[in-house]
Order: sequence, then C-alpha cells, then structure tokens
Amino acid sequence: MGVAEEPRTGVSAGSRTAEWWRPVLEQIKGIGPATWLSYAVLILAVLWALFPGLFTAYDAITGTPGQQLRAPSLAHFFGTDALGRDVFSRVVHGSVHSLSGAFVATAVGLVVGTALGLLSGSVGGVVDEIVMRIVDVLLSIPGLLFALSIIILLGFGTLNASIAVGAAAIAAFARLMRSEVIRVRSSDYVEAAIGSGGKLSSVLWRHVLPNSLTSVVAFSALQFGSAILQLSTLSFLGYGAPPPTPEWGLLVAEGRNYVATAWWLTAAPGLVVVIVVLAANQVSKSIRGRA
Amino acid sequence: MLSKLSRRQLLKSMCAIGALVATGVTAVPSWAQDKPTAGGTLVYLEKQAHTSLYPPGAGFYPNAGVLNQITDKLTYQNPQTLEIEPWIAESWDVNADATEYTFRLREGVTFSDGTPLDAKAVAANYDVYGLGNITLKQTVSEAINNYARSEVIDAKTVKFYFKAPSPGFLQATATPTSGLVAVSTLGLSADELGRAPNIIGSGPFVVASEKLGTEIQLTARKDYAWGPAKVKQQGRANLDGITVLTVPEDGVRIGALLSGQGDFIRQVHAYDEAQVKTAGYTVYGAQTRGTTHAVAFRPGNPLVADLKVRQALLHATNSTEIITTLFSENYPKARSPLSSVSAGFVDLSSELGFDPEAAKKLLDEAGWKPGADGIRQKDGARLSLGAYESLNYARSKETLQLLAQQWQKVGVELKLLAGEAGTRTKDDLDPLKTPLVPTKVERADPDVLKSQYYPTTRDQLRQKGGKGVATEFVDKTLNDILDKVASEPNTAKRLEYTGDAQKRLIEQAYVIPLFEEPQSFAGAPDVKDVVFEAVGRPVFYSAWLDR
Amino acid sequence: MSLSKYLLSRLGQALIVLWAAFTLSFLLLQMMPGDAVLIKYMGGDFALTPEQLANIRQIYGSDNPPLQRYLSALTSTLTGDFGYSIDAGVRVTALLADNILPTFRLAGLGFLAAVVLSFTLAFLSYFSPFSWLRRVITMLPSLFVAIPVFWLGIMLIQMFSFRLRLVPVINPGPWVGLILPIATLAVPISAPIAQILMRNIDDVMTRPFVAVARAKGASLNWVFWKHVLANALLPVLTICGMLFGELLAGAVVAETVFGLNGIGRLTEAAVATLDVAVLQAVVLLSAATFVTINLVVDLLYPLLDPRLRKNAKAV
Repeated sequence: MGVAEEPRTGVSAGSRTAEWWRPVLEQIKGIGPATWLSYAVLILAVLWALFPGLFTAYDAITGTPGQQLRAPSLAHFFGTDALGRDVFSRVVHGSVHSLSGAFVATAVGLVVGTALGLLSGSVGGVVDEIVMRIVDVLLSIPGLLFALSIIILLGFGTLNASIAVGAAAIAAFARLMRSEVIRVRSSDYVEAAIGSGGKLSSVLWRHVLPNSLTSVVAFSALQFGSAILQLSTLSFLGYGAPPPTPEWGLLVAEGRNYVATAWWLTAAPGLVVVIVVLAANQVSKSIRGRA
Repeated sequence: MLSKLSRRQLLKSMCAIGALVATGVTAVPSWAQDKPTAGGTLVYLEKQAHTSLYPPGAGFYPNAGVLNQITDKLTYQNPQTLEIEPWIAESWDVNADATEYTFRLREGVTFSDGTPLDAKAVAANYDVYGLGNITLKQTVSEAINNYARSEVIDAKTVKFYFKAPSPGFLQATATPTSGLVAVSTLGLSADELGRAPNIIGSGPFVVASEKLGTEIQLTARKDYAWGPAKVKQQGRANLDGITVLTVPEDGVRIGALLSGQGDFIRQVHAYDEAQVKTAGYTVYGAQTRGTTHAVAFRPGNPLVADLKVRQALLHATNSTEIITTLFSENYPKARSPLSSVSAGFVDLSSELGFDPEAAKKLLDEAGWKPGADGIRQKDGARLSLGAYESLNYARSKETLQLLAQQWQKVGVELKLLAGEAGTRTKDDLDPLKTPLVPTKVERADPDVLKSQYYPTTRDQLRQKGGKGVATEFVDKTLNDILDKVASEPNTAKRLEYTGDAQKRLIEQAYVIPLFEEPQSFAGAPDVKDVVFEAVGRPVFYSAWLDR
Repeated sequence: MSLSKYLLSRLGQALIVLWAAFTLSFLLLQMMPGDAVLIKYMGGDFALTPEQLANIRQIYGSDNPPLQRYLSALTSTLTGDFGYSIDAGVRVTALLADNILPTFRLAGLGFLAAVVLSFTLAFLSYFSPFSWLRRVITMLPSLFVAIPVFWLGIMLIQMFSFRLRLVPVINPGPWVGLILPIATLAVPISAPIAQILMRNIDDVMTRPFVAVARAKGASLNWVFWKHVLANALLPVLTICGMLFGELLAGAVVAETVFGLNGIGRLTEAAVATLDVAVLQAVVLLSAATFVTINLVVDLLYPLLDPRLRKNAKAV
C-alpha cells in the first residue's frame, strides 16, 4: 500500500480558499531539481507508451532464435531474453501495459475509496459506523489474498490484475478521505460556512472536497507507483498477464529465473521499475509538500 | 503430475524387452572406483513441496523423491537393462495367461515401526492399490490393472488374482507408485497421508521430522539389510541422513548448490547447465522414458478437426529450432511420440519434417485463407488456438511461445492462456477451450501410449467417453491398437502394435513430438553414486559423500 | 465510558469484523471456478470416473448446498475444527501449528528492524554533517518503497549469500537464516515510518520551544530524543496497524524467495489449489491479528498522550 497517510497528525496542506489551483501553482514555482527529473522520467515513460516505435526498432513479441540470452551491448542495451527478444524493446513496449495498469488500479481505489470516505466523513453517525466497519473488514483480509481472489474471479490479464490491485487499495483511500473530511469539516471556516446557512452538500462540494484533495492526490501518485510494484508481485506469484505481453512486472518476475546465468533479464527491467516508481513517489511528495 | 511406471510386461518377455532398449542416461554419474565412505547428511533441494504421500501418487516428482527413500518394493527394475530383479520378493511365478501371480518374500524384513513386512502386509497393500478405498479417499493405482483379490498362502507367500490378463503387473510391482507401507499407514485417510512422519515404510531411510511444506529430515535405518539383491550397495545406506528442502526459486537452488549450501538439486534448466558444469559440478539428465514432450490436438475442437490443419501445423513446427534455442544436448530431438529409449520405438523422423511451404499448401487446401492481420480465416472464423503451459515440464511457457512464432509464419495464431488451477483444470477438459495441450507421460513400458491417449485413462485427445466435455470425436482404430498394446501377451506382436500406435498418432497428426525430456538434476562434485530409476526419480540408497 | 465497558464494546466490534471477514471470504471462495477436489482428482494423472469424483465430493461434503456448507464451516470453526487441506492431505490445524510461529517471528523481527532502520535514517537525515548527505538520506525512504520486494530479496541473496558468501540462506542456523529475509521485509516497511519521523523532526525543530531549549544550553541530541520522539510515537503507532497487510504480503514473498515455511507461503499454495479450508483459517487468523493489533494500538493512545484521554472521540 506504499506510504500510508497518518490520519491523526493530518498534513496541513490546502489553503483556506476554495481556489484549489493556487497551491498547485505555488508548488510548481517551488519545484526542485529532483522533482523536475521525476516529471521528466514519467513523461519519458508516457512517450514510450504512446510512441514505442520512436525509441526502438526491435519487435517486442517475436524473437530471433540464435540471438537468445545475449548480454547487454550497444545493439541491445538491455541484452536479449531466452527467445532472442530485445529486452529494451520489451521494456519500451511494455510501458503502455504497466502505466495503464497502474492508472486503472489507482483510479479504482481513488474513485471508490474517496466516495466511501467522503460519505462516511461527511454524513457521520450510523453511515460512518457501517462504512468504517466495512473498511475494517477489508483491511483485515490480507490485501494480497484479496487481490488474488479477485483475479481468480475475473480471470487473468493486465486489466483484471489492475482492478484487483485497485480494489485492495479502496480501504486505504476511504480511511484517508474520511480523516481529511473530518479535519476540514472541523476547521473554523467550514463551520462558519455551515453556520452561515450554507447547504451541507454545497459546503462539501465547495470547501471540503477541494481542501481534502491535495492529500488524496498525493496519495494517488504514491499509489500509482505502488500499483506498478504490486502488479509485479502478482506476476511473481504467477497471477500476472499471460506472456508474451511485455508488462514490466512480468519481465522482472520471469527474468528472475535466469538470475544465475543472465542477470540482466531481471536487473534491467527491475531498474526501470524502480526509477519510475521512485519518480512517482517524488511527485507525490512534491504535491504534498513538507509540512 | 508426472507419470507412473509401466505395466503389462509379461515375465517371459522381460529380458527380450530389456535387450531391445537402448540404455541411455545422457550424463552418467561418475561411478567412483573408490570405496564409499559412510556418514554425512545430504542436502537435497526440491522445487516443489510433496503432496499426499499415498504411494500411488508417487508419479509427482516431489512425492517420489521422499517415497523412494522410505519404502521398498516387491521387485526392482534395473534402470540400465529394465529387467525385473528380486527385492522384497525373492522369487515369483506367473500363470500362463497372466491372471495369477505368486510372490515368495524375503524373511526378516520389518517396517520402521517394528511390524513385519510379511505376506499379510503385502496383501493389504495391494488390496488398497488395486481396488482403492474410496471412504479413505485412496484411489486405484494407475499402474495396476484388472486386480481382483489377494490370498495369503503362508507368512512368506502371497498370491494375487486378476479379473483379466494383467501382463504388466510384475513390472508394476517395481514402480515407485507401489512402495510398501505398514498396515497402520493404509488405515489413514488421504487427508492424513500428507504428513511424512505418518508414512511407515521398510526403506533404507526413515522420516525423522517434518516442517510441513518446507523441510523433511530423513535418517538412515541402521538395521536395514534388504536392499535389491543384485545392486552393488548392500546393508544400510551410506548416508546418515538426508535433508529435503523445498526451494521454489530456480535461481536460489542453483546459487545454493554452487555456493555449497546444498548438495543435490532437482530441476536445472538448460540455460544454467553450462554454468553448473564450468564450476565442476555434475548435471544429470536422467532419461524419463515413455513418451516425448509433445503437443497433442483435441480434434473435438472444429478448428483442429481437419486432418490437413493438424498436418500443416506438424510441418510448420521446427523442433530443431526449439531445442537449439531453449534446450541442450540433454534434450534429444523427438523422432516419434515415443522416446527413442523406450521399447517398441519406431523412428518416424521422415514423417516429421519441418516444411513451412507444405504447411501453407495444406492450409490453403483446407480452405483457410490469410486474413488482413496475417492470420488465416475461413467462414469468418480465425485460425487462432489457445494452450496453457504445463507447470511440470521444462520451459513449457517458452516452448509454446517459440511454437507460436513458428506457426505465425504460416498464418496460425497460438495464444498462451493463463489461469489459476481451477480454471485451467476446467478448460483442459473442454476441447473448445484447449484445442491443444503440451503432454508427456513417463513409463518404461509400451503401455504408456494407452495411458496417455485412451479415453478412460488420461485421454489427452479428449475422446468421447473420456474425461472431456462436449466432444464427439473418437478414433476407434487408434483405441483398438492401444487395447492390443495393453493386452497382447506375445512380445514381438506387442511391440509391433506399439509401432502401429505411433504411426497412427503421426498419420492422423494428433501429436507433434518435440523432444525427449530428461529430468534434470545437478550435484556437487563430492556427491557420488546417486542412482536414478527407470523413469528418472532419484534413489539415495547408494549415495555417499566424498568428504 | 468506563474502560471495561469500552473494552466490551470493542470486543463486540472485533467479533463482528471476524464474522464478516469469515463470511465475505466464504462467499468469495464459493464464486471461484472449480474446486480443490476437481483440481486434485481431475487435474493430474488420476483418471477417475464421474461417479468416483462425485463419491469423493460427497465424502468431503463439497456437494452440499452452499448454506449448509457455510453453517457447518461456521460451527466447526467455532469448535476449533478447521477441517483438512484437500491438496496437502493434512489437518489445517497441523498446517497452522507448523507455520504460525515462523511467520510471527519473521514479521515481528522484520517490523522491529524497520523501526530501528527508520529511526536511524530520521536521525541521520537531520544530524548528518553534510547537507548533500542529509538530502540523500531524505531520499532513501522513497527509494525503499520503489523496489519490488521479491526482486530485492533475490538480489540480496545473489549478492550476500551466493557471491560474497557472507550469510547462508539454505539450511542455515535458526537465526542466521533470518538475516536476509528480515532485511527484505524491513526495507519497504521502514520507509513510511521514516517519512513520518522526518516530517515530525522538521515540524518540532521549527517550534519556538526548541530554540528556547537550545538557548538554555540543551543539546540537539536531547531535543531530538525528548521532543521528536514523543511527538512521533503516536503516528508511528497508528501506522503499525496499517502496515499489517503489507507485512503479510511481504511475508508471502520473503517466504517464497527464501524457501521458508510460514503462513504467507501456505496462503499462496492454498490459493493456487483453491484449498478453501486453509484459506478460511488464514483469513480468520489474519483478521484476528489485525483486530488485536488495532485494539492494542487504540488502548495505547491514551497512555502515551494524556490529552487524548479526555477526548472520547479519539477512542
């Protein structure tokens, strides 16, 4: 689940105005080199996903027998795999699978979890109690077991694995959103807004949601990176996309069987995963800012 | 779920068959000239954990890895000559039509709980293996056919009766699936037999302790004095014990071996062989006999119902490329559905030629024309086939991917399916879901073909009347030949039928043989005299450590 | 609310969570394609007739209607009988007995190591002599959660066990063998804790009382341990409960990579063969652990922070 947000110390992000874009603008001004680099990495990964042909001429699916298990060289930056496929090409072509997978996973957790948290935190009372018990149950079932069960139910494939990862993150999103809502709600200006006769729903929409969003968006960026990792863990356990899909997690997981003889098969895609996830984490951190 | 051993070999024909078989273990262990030293504990790294240790389930390698060390069998099959030699039975008689077998047992043999291994115990074992005990969820052994009942003549003589000729029974008494266990063990349900210490055998080793799923400690029985009569090793085992550890990660097993943390490992992939050898370690490519690693079609699926389509795929397959890309010299090219070191093998290489042009022509003739995406189409259907990898065979996933590349060139799509055990098992029963399957069965007997393809056994073609669902396909000609293979008492005729069966499988292009798959092990240089029985399962009785 | 009343209500809630987890997992498992009996008896080399298969199903009771199976599973679970693993051929209680302690030991030590590691990092992130070093250390937690756990484990083994031959992983002594698995678990777990600590340090150090204390001659060290620690304990405690799921997922991976026995690997094997009895037991066990951890955490809050005692809402 990556880095969880601690609800009780709550990050004091978000301004007291409803102009949610202002902090974003402020943050862009204060961005450091590490964050710029992180954005560059993510943009490059997106470009790989959109225009893989610009970055590699090799076929990602069909290999060249006789060229198998070649060490990294100028011709093959990341070497070749057991079927003679260029690993760099597989990483580039795999970008679209991994990024969209992570995106779907994050979206599922974000949408469902945030809705639950918002409901729970703003309505309160019995609804809050029920939602939170559901969240407890979800948290008490090991996330990995939950994800595996969903994959078995839906069938194998990148999309289903992403949904499974997303579903396992719902509880964490819900908790975070709820704590944010409660924090914002109890703040003076929201109480003032309600006190001055504002309708609850419009107060929620205009004040609570935007002000809780910074943390949630930061957590989403974190979750995005974490989803890439979790997809690779699923591949490691044999629940990933079916080959020859060049999904990153699958590349790292399948490559590890060759670690004694052809280390690059797992090391190269592994480093790519580490760098991209690191970039996503850095972006998350910069969105949240240091309190 | 690997195989069982052979059955139905008539006593008289044993030597004949043995002589016909080319003995072939590609990397023979270095049979040391010096005298074995006693003592020491061997660390054996398994890939998978054992399941229920009910002896008829010993086809699964991890199960045999344990059962072979802790149980004895009535007879011993010499892995070189395939002859049946005395073990717990000192001698035996078989009546003319192979329906009555009498065994005279060695004296003084005891199970590790002290109870005697006498005629009564042997009868009890075979009653369960031959008939099953469904209330205890104990199934009938695949190696035993037509079993009727046992009779205890006296303390050291036991007789078995069969409902119909069972010429393979003598050989069946030598298989790892026929390990003898104490009567108390037979009384446990299959639900209790997954605990190794519950299995009381008479073998050279005893289970001292177990951590479920990861570790078994075996210790040598000091008073063991009844090994197979004709093997070099006599008396107790040389080793003091064996530690069997489950290490699922390939890289960790290899690394542990090469860094001295393990002595002997199962499942070494071809790509790691060079590294193991360079380090001075030994790779054992123990031949498994039986059938070759192949893909079999399910003609119940309309896409592969047409003989021409199957023939086209046979000729579109380049098994040489598969071997040179993914395997090593321990994996000889298949020349028939049957392995070349099996009795009755017929060389059919001339029928198995790689010829993509012929393949394309056959597909054209069958009415499959290339579509816009390069995949052939007919009446709106794409020629796209799905297959699951086999989890038990070496590099099945890579093999299928390479096959997909080769078939792509003639306009056929092969898609690798993925699913967990439940979906896989269900889909495998349905030819519409799985038009083809990677397959291979290990048995040192021609009957292996029946076991693999006959409707009421493993039924890999999914014929009507077998395990398959919604299939109308049946090949009576093939089934008749397989019946004859299994019941013909005359050896020469039986081998002839075996040849007919192989020819039928290739003529109809039911099967595309790829290579002869060994079971690969690797050992440290100081591990000596590990023996592999006829189907490649390790026996550590004679093993010793030169340290 | 009195303490005993509070405890009672929490206990009630816990039981409801346990029951719900049991029921939810039962429903989930019922929807699975195929079942353990089919997988075991039709998947391999057994050639059973449909009648024999039906017979075995009957013996296992797996052909009863779902409600009946649910009730019988619930009642036998209440009496402590978890049934048998169909695939492994062992009583579930025997499986649990062999696997609970190793997992608790691994997870417990892994968590402990993570806490030590995160405090060390947090300390160094503020007190290291060079600013570039401090920045690098601040980056480390992000890196720690960016590495696939199984990949880290395999790399650690290759490096420290097989190449450098420093620590054995196969057949080692009881504690030596835990070094690398613990490291594998601790690295990702330490990251969120370290991040909270670092944020707290920044927070505390900018407060006026620190400057006052410093002016009065207190050492930085003293300020760190006295104030930062006191402030950080609560969030760290909270995160313990949240990290539970991650510890378990980490245990699955670490146990598989290192060939250790434990609940994680047991779970993975049971999922692969749809061994319902084992999975239900694992779900109950993990739910019980989760509920207990959270209860303990909540009980510790007021002890650590007297302000919270007055605030009923906090508990």
